[in-house]
Amino acid sequence: MALKKGQPTPPCHSPGERQEPRNLETLLQTLLDEDVMKRRWAARDLAEHPAAAEALVTRLRHEKDATVLQVIVTSLGCIANEVAICGLIDCLYSEHTLLRNAAIEVLKELPEPVAPHMGKLLHDPDPDVRIFAVNVLESLRHPQVEAWLLEVILKDEHINVCATAVDLLGEVGSPQSRDALRALKQRFPEEPYIQFAADLALKRIGAG
Amino acid sequence: MKRILVIDDAATVRLYHREILEQAGFAVIEAINGLEALEKLEMEGPFDLYLVDINMPKLDGYGFLKALREKDIPQAPAIMISTESSPRDREAALVAGANLYVVKPIRPEQLLPQVRGLLGEGHPS
Repeated sequence: MALKKGQPTPPCHSPGERQEPRNLETLLQTLLDEDVMKRRWAARDLAEHPAAAEALVTRLRHEKDATVLQVIVTSLGCIANEVAICGLIDCLYSEHTLLRNAAIEVLKELPEPVAPHMGKLLHDPDPDVRIFAVNVLESLRHPQVEAWLLEVILKDEHINVCATAVDLLGEVGSPQSRDALRALKQRFPEEPYIQFAADLALKRIGAG
Repeated sequence: MKRILVIDDAATVRLYHREILEQAGFAVIEAINGLEALEKLEMEGPFDLYLVDINMPKLDGYGFLKALREKDIPQAPAIMISTESSPRDREAALVAGANLYVVKPIRPEQLLPQVRGLLGEGHPS
């Protein structure tokens, strides 16, 4: 139906759209709101505010709702400053599987800010953290990826860290991985999975 | 032939499990995460056993098992496989609905008796 002149203009907001201001201070307050939906919107909008990184990281430790957690992790990935990256890396130490996996997925997309932390992560005393670090390498488009993986399979003593790395080497490895893969087989001669995965990787890179 | 759904985001791990299980006479269907596993469940009906990794993108092993156990379908056994060996991880897997929790690396001589046992073809080791 056409509008007649003189009628008030209908509001242009779609149903459910927020009317709240989106300045940093208001969003930080809303991040603590009791309403899950409001917290989720605030977390999303804070992606545009690098100064919110610390508050978002702090909220990660207290937030109970999985959807809000996911959005906070995504926003930290958008901010990607040092505070945000360190907050995401801290998630690798979390017992919360969903949080950890969400952080891994975001970190994979951030090669430049993640790269300076990778050496330390790959030498973490906790083998689970080293495995998660290798998981981050999966699609990290960084020229060092193969070198990091080679160091893992040559030196890491934990079989599951090596197993995770060899899976990935099968996909990203070049002929320069051959000797390290053969050495890995010799380090774990009684482990069927390592033998299987290393043989497969060697075959894929054309050195079977 | 009993059908086993292998759910793992690592292609090499899926292939390794496929070779072990197919050589033992099982049919293997693969899914790359919990979400795809639920889609396979919708498309191909319930399976006889689920081999589930914990850490996967989109929907992890816990999330898959929880969704599986809430479905109104015949409930098949599930083995959760992980690199994490703490008692807390084991307990979380069992609470989520796993029948068995196995820590990697997997050896065929370890896995097959467990699979057969859960399928009623022998005793779980």
